[in-house]
Amino acid sequence: MTGVQNKTPLTHGIDIDALKREQAGSNLEDETIALEVEKLDLYYGPKQALKGIDMQIPQKKVTAFIGPSGCGKSTLLRCFNRMNDLVDGCHIDGEIRLHGKNIFDRDVDAAMLRRRVGMVFQKPNPFPKSIYENVAYGMRLAGVDKKRVIDDTVEWALKGAALWDEVKDRLNDSALGLSGGQQQRLVIARAIAIHPEVILLDEPCSALDPISTLKVEELINDLKDRYTIVIVTHNMQQAARVSDYTAFMYMGELVEYGNTDQLFTKPVKKQTEDYITGRYG
Amino acid sequence: MSNTRSTSTHELTVSGRVGVRDYVSSGAPYVWLTASAIAVSIIITVALLALTAVRGIAHFWPADLLEASYVEPGHAPFPVLAEVRSSEEVTVARLINAGIPVSEDQDLYQRLLLKVGNRDIYGADFRYVLDEWMQERSYPEDATVWERVEWGNLHGFLERVTRDGEVIAARDQRWDAYRDVQKRANGLREEIREIEKDRIGAVNYKLERLRLAEKRLQLDGKSRASDAPAFAKIDAERDALKQRYDTLNQERGDLYRELGRDSITVRTIDGDLHEIPLSKLISGWQPNRMNVFQKTGFWLEHFWQFISDDPREANTEGGIFPAIFGTVLMVILMSIFVTPFGILAALYLREYAAQGPVTRAIRIAVNNLAGVPSIVYGMFGLGFFVYFLGGSIDRLFYPEAAPAPVFGTPGLMWSSLTLALLTLPVVIVATEEGLARIPRSIREASLALGATKAETLWRVVLPMSSPAMMTGLILAIARAAGETAPLMLVGVVKLAPNLPIDGNFPFFHFERKFMHLGFHIYDVGFQSPNVEAARPLVYATSFLLVMVIVILNIAAITIRNRLRERYKALEH
Repeated sequence: MTGVQNKTPLTHGIDIDALKREQAGSNLEDETIALEVEKLDLYYGPKQALKGIDMQIPQKKVTAFIGPSGCGKSTLLRCFNRMNDLVDGCHIDGEIRLHGKNIFDRDVDAAMLRRRVGMVFQKPNPFPKSIYENVAYGMRLAGVDKKRVIDDTVEWALKGAALWDEVKDRLNDSALGLSGGQQQRLVIARAIAIHPEVILLDEPCSALDPISTLKVEELINDLKDRYTIVIVTHNMQQAARVSDYTAFMYMGELVEYGNTDQLFTKPVKKQTEDYITGRYG
Repeated sequence: MSNTRSTSTHELTVSGRVGVRDYVSSGAPYVWLTASAIAVSIIITVALLALTAVRGIAHFWPADLLEASYVEPGHAPFPVLAEVRSSEEVTVARLINAGIPVSEDQDLYQRLLLKVGNRDIYGADFRYVLDEWMQERSYPEDATVWERVEWGNLHGFLERVTRDGEVIAARDQRWDAYRDVQKRANGLREEIREIEKDRIGAVNYKLERLRLAEKRLQLDGKSRASDAPAFAKIDAERDALKQRYDTLNQERGDLYRELGRDSITVRTIDGDLHEIPLSKLISGWQPNRMNVFQKTGFWLEHFWQFISDDPREANTEGGIFPAIFGTVLMVILMSIFVTPFGILAALYLREYAAQGPVTRAIRIAVNNLAGVPSIVYGMFGLGFFVYFLGGSIDRLFYPEAAPAPVFGTPGLMWSSLTLALLTLPVVIVATEEGLARIPRSIREASLALGATKAETLWRVVLPMSSPAMMTGLILAIARAAGETAPLMLVGVVKLAPNLPIDGNFPFFHFERKFMHLGFHIYDVGFQSPNVEAARPLVYATSFLLVMVIVILNIAAITIRNRLRERYKALEH
């Protein structure tokens, strides 16, 4: 980075005043809480990747995790639907409660949990099936076999993901023929088709071009009325644009968490300020 | 090189490079090296196919019949009517060594291999002659070759056609008359074959089953006194079958009598007349009279007969259909056994087993299995499948057949299983590689939608890795179809009386022995009493074996390409 960029805050170009007006008064204490994280430690083998995370994710709001690469934000996100179960040598202490129920309890079935907590990954990962079958996949898993129900839900989900108009005439074509942005919206449609409560987005726009990114961001805005959304992003403008609350993580720790507007304009911690103003190398 | 050249040009052009080192570093030798490796492979493949095809398929071309008088010094002239099979130059020393009185003025002599036919008369079909001593050559139009049921071909001239001892054609119409009676005879023979093989065969098969059923009842401790109705039923069925057999036998007798009515008289080149019943003749042709199109038609017909007929005369005549059938069926059965087994093993190794030293050891063991010599698998198949498994099955389920074994003897099923074992490592390795190539992101996508691991495997991972499985299967087929050594121990025979699939219930007789192209080549080539007659058949059979493998592979590759088209997500 050159010196000029270094000194320009990364929030440059965002209408901070509009954000302030929109989110005035929004405060974590006033929200219904969907997910509660308590004293969460996570180890990959001997290495500790998350250190004593405590946080609360509000219902039907967008919460963004930001931080430098390797700070643990994706790891934390993947705890919410227990995707870390699949990693060899991963060990978790502490609790994450979804509406009061600890998801690490023995009686919690990971597959059932993942139906309630959907996830969208960094790179679009549609199955090599038709568009229709991609969206219907989760329903078929859940045992829905009435064609009418599936048809309706596929249409609903694709409309919800703002993709219906683009694909309605070629539902039976391979999903791999779609562009990257369309694929990512298809993956979102696939996630909402099974009516989850929470949608986890793991850097959903990092592999997309600016126009597709814009569409996905608009989509996130539309979806937050119905779903609790947690998004990991590298892009601070994006976090500022789409989220209600933002968590800044660094080296496996939650440094600062609060109202997005406040975090980006009046960060409490020095580390946060350094990061959002681009002083981290 | 010149001082006037600017520095920048000097850096960008390679014209200054002249040394070997520069040539090597330019990369051109590697292109040549790799390309020549490919070129050699292609040349070898094409040469192999061309050699077997030319040597083998040309055998069915109707060669002209050469009439000549063979005058060996010191011997009486010997008339020949023969096909010239090959011609080679031989040194005089070799001929003198062989005791042939040639003059030493000449260094090289042209030696011909003649197919003189008439093995029953001369003792051998083939004869070597010196080109020089062949005199009064001609190609008589009416020289005829007859293919006979036994004793090989007959060369001669048609004299007359007889029915019931009366001459029905002797002069101009005799060839047409012969063709008519030959057609009739072939029709009758086909009927007889149908009766003997299919209908009487079916009756015999049912009788054998009844015998076994009766023995079974006796073994179960039932006697005619205690279980009269059961035995009576068997007796009634047996009587019905016997009656049917008598009817069929009578029908067969009538047909044979009908077949025996016609005969022809043939004059061989030495002037003798031979009367030959039509029942002994399969077909006759006059090659010297045929034009190219007729010969092509003849060639196609005979090549087809080679593919579609049963072998005769210790496999040196007739066709090889049972061997083709056996090979294909064995490969298909092998695929049916090896595919699910190999896929399941690979699935466990790759997806479920903890990746530690034990798994690694198992993987090494599996890879090494691929290197075990195939005859060792044959021994294992014989010891384990045939004697142990087959013997146990016989003891448990077929006590009535004892002492004759049913499954406790080499057979198609054990051969397929042995080859399945032999090709298992290939399928496991290929499938494992396919599974490893499924991107993690796709598995995570499925899991994140609430699928369990098993559901993910079944719905996403397995379909996506199916092309890799097909690759494994293709390699397995290629290896299994050509394998011969182990089969000799576990089920292949020189001549199988019945196909493993026929019209008799339960239709699939996988306990039967079968014929195989690979073994057929060995048998015809090395075990045949008639070497010269067998040689072209060895080539032809080799060609067909290669063709069978190619066709099986093409089928599998087509399926794989379809699957790839469908699941081409792996490319990004």
